[in-house]
Formats: sequence, structure tokens, C-alpha cells
Amino acid sequence: MNKYYPAALAILIILLAAFPAIGPEVYYLSFMFSVFMYVILASSWNFIGGYAGYLSFGHAAFFGIGAFATAKMATVFQLPPLLTMLASIPAGGIAALIALIVGYPCLKIRGPYFSVVTLCFAFVVDLAVKNIEYLGGAEGLWMKFMDLPEKTARTIMYEAMLLLMVITLAASWFLGRSRFGTGLTAIRSDEEVAETMAVPTAMLKIKAFVLSAFFPGVAGGLFAYYLGYIHADAVFSINISILIVLMAMFGGGGTWLGPIIGAVILTVVNEGLSTFAQAEIARIIYGGLFIVVTIFMPNGIIDFFRKRGG
Amino acid sequence: MDAVLIFQSLISGIMMGMVYALLGVGFSLTWGVMHVIHISHGAFGLLGAYAAYSLLQYFGVDPIASAAMSVPLLFLMACGLYQLLIRPITRAKNIIMASMILTFGLAIILENIMALIWKADPRVLTPAYSSGALIVGPFYFQYPHLVGFGLSLVGITALYLFLKKTYTGMAVRAAWQQPEAARLYGVNLFQISMITFALAVSTAGAGGICLALLNSFEPHSHNLWLIYLFLVVIVGGVGNVIGTALAGLIIGVITGLSMAFLPFQWVNLVTFGLLMVFLIFRPHGIFKQEGL
Repeated sequence: MNKYYPAALAILIILLAAFPAIGPEVYYLSFMFSVFMYVILASSWNFIGGYAGYLSFGHAAFFGIGAFATAKMATVFQLPPLLTMLASIPAGGIAALIALIVGYPCLKIRGPYFSVVTLCFAFVVDLAVKNIEYLGGAEGLWMKFMDLPEKTARTIMYEAMLLLMVITLAASWFLGRSRFGTGLTAIRSDEEVAETMAVPTAMLKIKAFVLSAFFPGVAGGLFAYYLGYIHADAVFSINISILIVLMAMFGGGGTWLGPIIGAVILTVVNEGLSTFAQAEIARIIYGGLFIVVTIFMPNGIIDFFRKRGG
Repeated sequence: MDAVLIFQSLISGIMMGMVYALLGVGFSLTWGVMHVIHISHGAFGLLGAYAAYSLLQYFGVDPIASAAMSVPLLFLMACGLYQLLIRPITRAKNIIMASMILTFGLAIILENIMALIWKADPRVLTPAYSSGALIVGPFYFQYPHLVGFGLSLVGITALYLFLKKTYTGMAVRAAWQQPEAARLYGVNLFQISMITFALAVSTAGAGGICLALLNSFEPHSHNLWLIYLFLVVIVGGVGNVIGTALAGLIIGVITGLSMAFLPFQWVNLVTFGLLMVFLIFRPHGIFKQEGL
């Protein structure tokens, strides 16, 4: 980390923000939109999964809750486009609130049991949404899209997701450098010792969990509005949850940069595979990636290359 | 409530539960002995079910014979997989997590290979006796269910006797209770892990065939099976064979009864909710943790 680092980052953000100005095709805007989205998901997962070492396998639940809350608010209150996008913020709040309620009992259990309970939580939310008629049930919810040319609309969504990504990454950056983050790392290393050293472990864990649920909630809201139609399968899929874990672990959990790199690489790979290969073959290669990463890069790609570099 | 209906769903619950138990014991053993959470366990069960389906469809092989054949085949295959995939991660700092991610990848691979070969339509195992039923008074038991139940019972009993009576089985239990002490007494932990893994996978195959006799299946069914596996193993206690078997029966009865009295889509919700409650309040199962 040298002193040019923040400046380079600022330039990169400005370049990304200016990207729509050069008039790229809508496809690239959509693609970047999903890259930003996965960076948000993986980085926010990292608060609890990476720093604290509590591997949540149900992170997609918060993403989906945000999506459905936004869609519901937009249809119930007949919100205009701009307000719908802003409605994703209270939707993130709802996701955070649910994280608080669920996290309180769940964060008391550790290791694989925590992973299983979060996995199960994601399944329960998915099934509940599918079976509750009020939330669209098996058919899903439709939303009115903004009354603008497609490109303008996509650009607005692009900038909104970029902004959210910058905020998430800033939060992740400060978290990694604060007492809060240090406390979480202490929990990951040894929870008993941390407890003995007067680290308020229960409090820190729940804070991290709630914070890590808020950002995907907001991202879910933007995503729902972006699609214009939301269905439980699109946002609650267990594959999304696992993908988030993989992205963060692939890059290197518990670091600031890891989830970003992991999310960018895997989104590009995923996009490439689904464009050039048959769906089943693409997924087989994808599954192979999980295996290769766990065997050859157990501590993530950053660590792998750092060691190679000497 | 109709007493006959309650009793009938109780019986079918017990039959289902025995099959869950057979699927669950292997999962429980790999978790307990090797600290490997084998996410693709259900996918191997599904592989067994599909193999039995094809054997029946094209060669007229009875599922019982397929189960008997699949056990040694899957055993050998699992030995290879252990050496290739699982052994490299046994030295990982956090083997449980590493194994979850790795075997999740394996499950995706298996699922999509099955989708390529057998297509995504739901299948059912229909041996010649599939439409017959044993009728006792007001109750009736479909033959495929009886066969699935019987096979599961045989499988679990065999596994139990293996662990209790043979030298290798005792080594497996020793490796579960005191790995370091077992190693000092000359148990080769890698070899024991390989045998445990292979045993688990082959019982999964047999269990998958049994489950296929009871329910229809498709390439992504193993995700749902996995939740049941977790439920059975966590209720029964990780690594506890008898506990797992009893937990399988309990869960079978609960699902059997909820299937009879709840709308279909709420059954899984009940199951998952139950699992969450268990994880939060009794993550070590309902039985006292003892050897086996």
C-alpha cells in the first residue's frame, strides 16, 4: 500500500463513472452493472464471512428480501421511478432488521452449524415468499419501468449501482482499519481468547451481520427495479449464496481487495462461459473451478500470487 | 382425525424415515470421522438412482440387484475421488469449510452430468411390482415402499455390524473418537478416511435407489435431499450411527404426518423450520453423545 493508492482509486472510480459517456452498447452497461452488483454482494459478505470467519451460506436471502421489499413498496405506493430507486434504501433497512432478528440466535452457533443454519434460513425465506400470495407467490411481481429511452435508463441504473458499490467498498475499507474490524479478526482467530480479552464478541458479530445484510438489500432493490420483474428463483437461488461465498474465498476472505478481485474475475468467467458454452457444460466447468480453487488456492488468489511473487 | 389415516401416514413415515437414515449414516460418518461435510453426498445417491433407472429401463435389472451392484462400484470410485480430491485438502487449516466448498463444486458437476445424460425431466423407478400392494386390513403398503424400506434396513444393519464387529470398523470408530490416540496405536488415518468416505458414498448410492423407489427424482433433487441429510444428521448427532438411524425415523414420521395434514408446499417449510430450531437450540442432537 503506497501513498498513490487512494489517488489511483479515485481516478478509477471517475473513469468508471464516466464510462457511459463514451456511448458503449447497452450490453456493456448491463455487464458492468452485474459486476458491480457481485462486488457489493461479495464485499458485504466479507464483513461477517471474511473478517469474522462466520461463513454465511444464506447471503442471497438478504439480497432477495431487499428486492421483494422494493418491488412491493413500488407497487403498493405507486412510486415514480426515482422514488423506487430510493425505496431500495428502506428495503435494505428491512433486510438489516431481519438480519438482526435472525442473527441474534444464529450467531451463537459456530463453524459449520452456522453455515447450515444460514443455508436453511435462505431456503425458508425462498419457500415462504413462493407460498405467500401477497408477495407475488409463484408468479412473482411486476414493476413499472421508467419512462425513458433504454440507454438513458440503463445509464441511471449503472451509476446508481456504481455509487452503492463505492459506498460498500468505503465501508469495507474503514471496517478493515477500525477497532471494529480488528475485533472481528480477533473473533476469527480465536473467539474464546477474544472474549477473554474483553472483546464484546456477541455485539460485534451482530453489528457485522446486520451491516453485511444492509448493502445486499439495497443492491437487491436496484436489481429488482433493473429487471422490472422479480421472481423468487431469480434472487433467492441457493447458487447465488454459494457464488458469493466462492467469490470472496476465491479472491481471499478477510481482506479488502480479495472479494473485489474474486467477484470481478468470476463474473467475467461466468459471463464468458454462458456465452460460449452449453449451459450444462458451463456449469460443469464452473463446478470444477470450485474444486481447483479449494485445492490449489485455499487462502485465495491474492495470497497465491503473493507467495509466488516471493 | 381419521385413525386409519393417521396410522397409515405413520407407517409410510417410518418407511421413508428408514431410507433417510440409510442416506444419512454415511453423511454423518464422513462429517464425524473425517470432518468433511460432503455436500455431494445426495448427488451420489441420485447417481445411484439414475443408474438403477437405466439398468431397469434397458436391461430389466431389478433395483435390488442394482443396489447390490452399485455398492462395490461406487466404493471403488469413491476411493479414487478421495485420493484425488479429498486427501489434498485434509491438511487445510479449516477442513470443514474447504470440504464444503469443494464438494459443492463436485455436486454441481455431478448434477449437470446427470442433466446431460438423463435430461431434466422427473423420473420414477417402476419395477414390475411397482403397482402392487400388500393389503392388511384397512392399510395398504405399496411393494416398492416395502422394498425400499427393507433394503435400507439391511444396509444400516450391515453398516452397524461392520463398525461394531470388524477390526476396520473399530478403527473407524477409534478415528472418530480419538484420532491422535488411534494413530499412536497404528491406525493409518488416511486409509481409514478413505474407507469411511467410500463406505459413505456407496451407502449413499444404495440409499438413493431406495429413495427413488419412494419418490420421483430429477437432476436437482439432491439439493432437497441434502437438507434432509443435514436434518437427520444434526438431530441424530454428528458421527452417531444409531442416533442418525433414530433421527431418520423421527423425521420420516414428522414428514409423513405433515404430508397427510398439510398442503404439499408447506411440508418442506416445516422441515426447514424444524432444522433451524434444532440448530439453534440443540446443535449436538437429541441423544447423549456416546460412542457410535
